[in-house]
Amino acid sequence: MSLVMDAIKYLVYILVFPGFLFCFLSGLLLCGIDRKIVARMQKRVGPPVLQPFYDFFKLCGKETIVPAAASRTTFLLAPLVGLAALVVIQLFIPVFNFSAFSGVADIIVILYLLLIPALSIIMGGAASGSPYAGVGLSREMVTIISVELPLVLVLLAVGKVVGNAMGTGLCFSLTQIVAWQAEHGSLIATPSMIVAAIAMLMVIPGETGNHPFDAAEAETEICEGMLAEYSGAPLGVYKLSHAVKMLTMTSLFVALFLGGIGGGIDRMLLSWGLTGGAAGVIAVLIGIVVLFVLCAIITIISISLIHAATARLRIEQIFKYYWTVVTGLAVISLVLAWYGM
Amino acid sequence: MSIFSYQHFPVYAIMVLFLGAFLIAAIGRKAPVRHCLAVLASGASLAFMIALIQPVMLGGEIIAYWMGNRVPAGGYAIGIALEVDALGLFFGLVVTLALFASVIYSIRYMAHDDNQEQYYILLLVLIGGVLGLILSGDMFNMYIMVEIMTISAVALTAFRHKVFGALEAAFKYMVVGGIGSTCILAGVIILYAQAHTLNFAQLAALIPGNLNTATKVAFALLFIGFSTKAFIVPFHPLAADAHGAAPASISLLISGVLTKSGVYGLIRLTYVLFQTMNLGTMQFWLVFIGSVSMFVCVTMALAQHDFKRLLAFHSISQIGYVLSAVGLCTAMGISSGLYHAMNHTLFKGLLFLAAGAVLHETGTTDLDKLGGLSKKMPHTTVLFLIGAASISGIPPFNGFASKWMVYQATYMKAVESGNIGFLLVTIIALVTSTLTLASFVKVTQSVFFGQLPKEYENVKEVPFGMRLAMGILALLCVLTGLFPGLVTTYLTEPATRAVFNAGGYINAMMGSGYAESVMGANAPAAQAVNFAEVGVWSPISWLCILMIALLAICIVALSSKYDRVSENQGAKVEGKYDLFFGGERSVYSQVGGDDLFWGFKHNWRHYFGFMHELHSGVVNDYALWAVVALALALLYAMIVL
Repeated sequence: MSLVMDAIKYLVYILVFPGFLFCFLSGLLLCGIDRKIVARMQKRVGPPVLQPFYDFFKLCGKETIVPAAASRTTFLLAPLVGLAALVVIQLFIPVFNFSAFSGVADIIVILYLLLIPALSIIMGGAASGSPYAGVGLSREMVTIISVELPLVLVLLAVGKVVGNAMGTGLCFSLTQIVAWQAEHGSLIATPSMIVAAIAMLMVIPGETGNHPFDAAEAETEICEGMLAEYSGAPLGVYKLSHAVKMLTMTSLFVALFLGGIGGGIDRMLLSWGLTGGAAGVIAVLIGIVVLFVLCAIITIISISLIHAATARLRIEQIFKYYWTVVTGLAVISLVLAWYGM
Repeated sequence: MSIFSYQHFPVYAIMVLFLGAFLIAAIGRKAPVRHCLAVLASGASLAFMIALIQPVMLGGEIIAYWMGNRVPAGGYAIGIALEVDALGLFFGLVVTLALFASVIYSIRYMAHDDNQEQYYILLLVLIGGVLGLILSGDMFNMYIMVEIMTISAVALTAFRHKVFGALEAAFKYMVVGGIGSTCILAGVIILYAQAHTLNFAQLAALIPGNLNTATKVAFALLFIGFSTKAFIVPFHPLAADAHGAAPASISLLISGVLTKSGVYGLIRLTYVLFQTMNLGTMQFWLVFIGSVSMFVCVTMALAQHDFKRLLAFHSISQIGYVLSAVGLCTAMGISSGLYHAMNHTLFKGLLFLAAGAVLHETGTTDLDKLGGLSKKMPHTTVLFLIGAASISGIPPFNGFASKWMVYQATYMKAVESGNIGFLLVTIIALVTSTLTLASFVKVTQSVFFGQLPKEYENVKEVPFGMRLAMGILALLCVLTGLFPGLVTTYLTEPATRAVFNAGGYINAMMGSGYAESVMGANAPAAQAVNFAEVGVWSPISWLCILMIALLAICIVALSSKYDRVSENQGAKVEGKYDLFFGGERSVYSQVGGDDLFWGFKHNWRHYFGFMHELHSGVVNDYALWAVVALALALLYAMIVL
């Protein structure tokens, strides 16, 4: 009986929250908010906030054309694998006090899992046989290399700070990082982590491929690169993946630096006199709302503002920017973390 | 002792290989006989190694085997000996497995070559040499085996001597490999002059307490000798030339087996023979060389436009991981290093065989000329992608499991020792991993995807035999990635214990109590080893979650309009199913090959220019590098030991 219950529980995790349905709704909503904010900053009216939903369903109704030169299976399967991988990453990122699968949430694992969605789009583009996809995937790969170094440094710094505080010297488990913050307050209060958080804010648009780091998709010069030959539902899935990746990166930021809020929620419920199972459910519900609001704020700061204010960088400028400015910040945070600050 | 006792298995495993070689020379004129003999010999050798897992890995026994039962008398070991501890068996398993895959692949791959008897003879002799080197218990036999191995590897490199550059590559290999072998011989001579014995175990008991100038020189000579066999920096250009020219089945062995023999030699030398690894300076030496190999070779690989040369540089880059991890001198480090060494043989073998399959069908490995083969060779493409994902460390394949352990090991070492330098190794390793991924994206795009050139329209899938060999390796890549717990429990952890058990190694050979009587209080006891990991990763549950998620998404996708795919049905709509070229003619728009990562290489142009000048391709330069490396090693050994 308990086995069946467990199976149902995990299925709900995967399909509803924090899995597929949650990713779908909040990812596209974040995307809509981003588009609206950018439009307002550029003195445009902008699309309705729900526009990404309309776009997605519209694309799903369109004809899917597979080019004669493409490898059919890879071409059609790649978007789905990318989306599935993103949903799985989302399952590993704890939502304050709630984590669906705590046993596998490790920051280095997450670092590598984040490569799979990017690889899926690269493989899909390569399989289409388009020369624009060739240019696009080359730029996408260089963007990945650019972002990887500062991201690695930030994650190692976080692992070191929490490890220092826990007395083990080192902590790679994301669940433990969040649990420690819930008890002792958010990491962003420490000096080294302020620098790390700034670096992470700069990493987010690069990782999601947003303006001005979207050389890989540059619509105006290489026709969206790897998506050049995509149409219909697969294109819709890629657009959805892009939206979910925004959610994933921002909620990773929340988990790494703002985990202390989970403790706040618990204490608040306790002061209201709520305990037991009901309190747990309410805490998770409040957590979801707070998480979404925070994700929206971080999206606005790290993606929308930069998008509205800057023009697209060339690929070698992206590389230079990440390996000098952002990596510099991340190194500072790592050195500070090393010396216990 | 019955002749079927497992005590005899080590010598049988070596013997069947040489015996197979002699039989092929005698009666192997006909192809089926030859193939049967090669498969039987390699399979038997592998079976003997597997049969030893039970007593050695699980039972913790160290097999000391004296030829002709000439056991040590009067405290001196004179006879020829084999000694198999878990470390030796681990490498023995890797070696014989690689040989088996190579033989299966060769049957179809070499079907159109001349002089096939010579090929199989050299192949079996080569691996016989490597296995002898790994299982040997005394230094002189080890040196002989090194020579057998090097000479047959040189001959096999130039086996297709009509291929452009093959003879040149073999010549380079012979010169620098010869320098390496000479270094080993000189080291052996000096040790013999000092300790009056050649037995490993006895040397391990006598040398560490009595280090003098001569033994330090011997250490440096042996170190450089084994480094040339492992092709680590600065000996890496040789590997690139040799791999580029050799048949793919030989590239598998050079990368998967010969480099491993060098790594084995380095581990045996530093951990057991001289027991120097507790020195911080020795750890620094190994980790430094490993990190430099890792990074230099991955960047060199990014600049290549030949499939096999690119793989060759990656091979050394991965050996850099192994060496860095082994140099940490922690249980986690050695365990992860050995794990990665095994994985490296599996995935790099798979990749070389895939490159061989491409060469077999198209006649070239030039990345600038190939393209679009995935439609013609779907199985090879899938197998190649498994190998590429493994080497790039994409979960849940085996490369990820071992690399992830390497990161943990280096970072833990940094935390434990308080030395921020080890942290740099973690970061270099992580960045190298991303660059590896980049260069395999380049290969995938340039060879298997993109546009199919006109001349390859009639390319077919490779024969079943070749796919079988690749399939075996691919399956092992997946299994060792999915069950890291089994690999560490049954293979790497016993081997790690053996590395830390120099005392047991000595006593098994020389009789119990020998180490204590010679070395007194300094006798190395078996150290307690702690395999605690800081991270959590369970590939199976992850894979289950991914599969359920993928299934759910597929069901949703298929039940909506995802499957409403319109296929090309005749030429109904003009141009509807053609690629969009934006007005260019398609022949001018192929993107791939060397220029794919312009954005990265532009920022590093000075570094790449410098590297390009350095790797002149002239053997004089490489010999000079070897001499300089030897001089530096001598100097370092004098100062720190």
